[in-house]
Amino acid sequence: MKLPAPPTEKSFPSALHHPRVATVIGRWLGLAVAICFLTGLFSHFLQDTPGWLDIPSRPASLYRVTQGLHVLSGTVAVPLLLAKLWTVYPKLFAKLPWPPSRKALTTALERVSILVLVSAMALELFTGFLNTLQWYPWPFPFKQTHYALAWIIVGALLVHLAVKLPLILAHWRRTPADRTPVAASLPPAITGLTRRGLFRTVAGGAALAGITSVGQSFSPLGPVAVLAPRTPNIGPQGLPINRTAKDAGVARIDANWRFTVTGPRQLSYTLDELRGLPQSRSDLPIACVEGWSQGARWEGIRIRDLLHLCGAPPGSRVRVVSMEKGGFYATSELPPEFADDPLTLLALRLNGTELALDHGFPARIIAPNRPGVVQTKWVHRLEVIS
Amino acid sequence: MTAVRGARIALGAVGVGFGLWGLWLLVDAVELPALIRLPIWLGGAVLADDFFLVPLTLAIGWLVTRWSIGPDRHRTVGPVRTSLLYVGLTTLIAIPLLLRQGKGVNPTVLPRNYLRDWLLLEATIVLVGTVVFVVQRSRFTFNRSRASSGDIGGR
Repeated sequence: MKLPAPPTEKSFPSALHHPRVATVIGRWLGLAVAICFLTGLFSHFLQDTPGWLDIPSRPASLYRVTQGLHVLSGTVAVPLLLAKLWTVYPKLFAKLPWPPSRKALTTALERVSILVLVSAMALELFTGFLNTLQWYPWPFPFKQTHYALAWIIVGALLVHLAVKLPLILAHWRRTPADRTPVAASLPPAITGLTRRGLFRTVAGGAALAGITSVGQSFSPLGPVAVLAPRTPNIGPQGLPINRTAKDAGVARIDANWRFTVTGPRQLSYTLDELRGLPQSRSDLPIACVEGWSQGARWEGIRIRDLLHLCGAPPGSRVRVVSMEKGGFYATSELPPEFADDPLTLLALRLNGTELALDHGFPARIIAPNRPGVVQTKWVHRLEVIS
Repeated sequence: MTAVRGARIALGAVGVGFGLWGLWLLVDAVELPALIRLPIWLGGAVLADDFFLVPLTLAIGWLVTRWSIGPDRHRTVGPVRTSLLYVGLTTLIAIPLLLRQGKGVNPTVLPRNYLRDWLLLEATIVLVGTVVFVVQRSRFTFNRSRASSGDIGGR
């Protein structure tokens, strides 16, 4: 018995497998990757600020916007990546160059770079989306792998652009052929999709993915966020949470609880004494790395007022210590710009009532332009460290 | 041409640099047992795309095109193709949500009834596809009747 021949590049008759289509969809995907990479880099630096970098505390909602865009551009990239792979699919069956020559080596290297690009990008989108559900079924650490793969993707993408640059330039501009219906081996112009029709369909798919998920960070679209793992206004005090008090191993406090500030002067307060200090109000969002965010009204004591009371010099950095057991975020640091910002509070109240235990009762940090993971909850000590 | 050549060399060099930096980050931050298993997941991602999702799309596209040869189907095929594509795409994104329904780490993660919402979303896509089809068809019929009555152009 003779097996059917494997497909070749010529086995795909649709005229939509064309460099012009790859160029247009590639542009969109490239834009999504660029937005995703830059916003991701910003998020990484906010969580893990290198010494040479000073991140400003304003605009207060900057991180809310950038991280919302990060997850949105990643979600929208799913249909764009699939469309791009569909367009260039025949290339997968192109003959490997043989016998070995210099040209053959270049082609082989290029195909390796494509393999790196496609595998890393597909896995990156997959792990990123599952992280928004807080689901980690893989054997490697999410944060480190997601970050390293991002650099590999951008590197492989630049190599891909270098290889394809002449082809991209040749097909950059629109041509009349974009509007001509194509119909493979059919009576002409009957059922065919034009290139333009394909672009519209792909753009529609990307828009659909975006509209059904962006509501987790843009509350007017919350009701239609049917493909988002978070919905606004759901949670204790109408605000979602990432880590519950139970998960963090924190129970309600007893009468001996004290809040302390260690600095040039040592301060110690009971909860009632904290409530007796001058209170301020901040309207700030909780914005998480998973892309969801929601504005809220916080009341509490300005960190800068506490620093003033303990005699800390201007420009002090503050370590925030939580009562939570273990985990990466039991302590966090407020860089000087954030500690000094009048919006940064040791918050005691949320949306008009005392903090719920899951939101960090008795006291938590809320600061502008910061990821939720460093808005430390269940705070019992501040340490002035410089 | 030299400008293009220079741009290609620069892009390639920066690209290789970024890639090696990413590789170093991986080796530095990920423990060996996890690092060894990472290529399996990378390979799995390629298999899922290139040997499942794209062939599936091609096969369904081929079936739809074949089906569309039938009489009077050339006007139906557009909405059918687009609706099928959007149903497939939204279902792909919905799969993790449906699998993890009720298994969120706390009640504010995955709080919706995703099965109901997914069914509503697919019903909406099919409904919109049907409306588009009906509107296109009535427009076509209208134009044809005007053409046969010699009224085309209107002036």
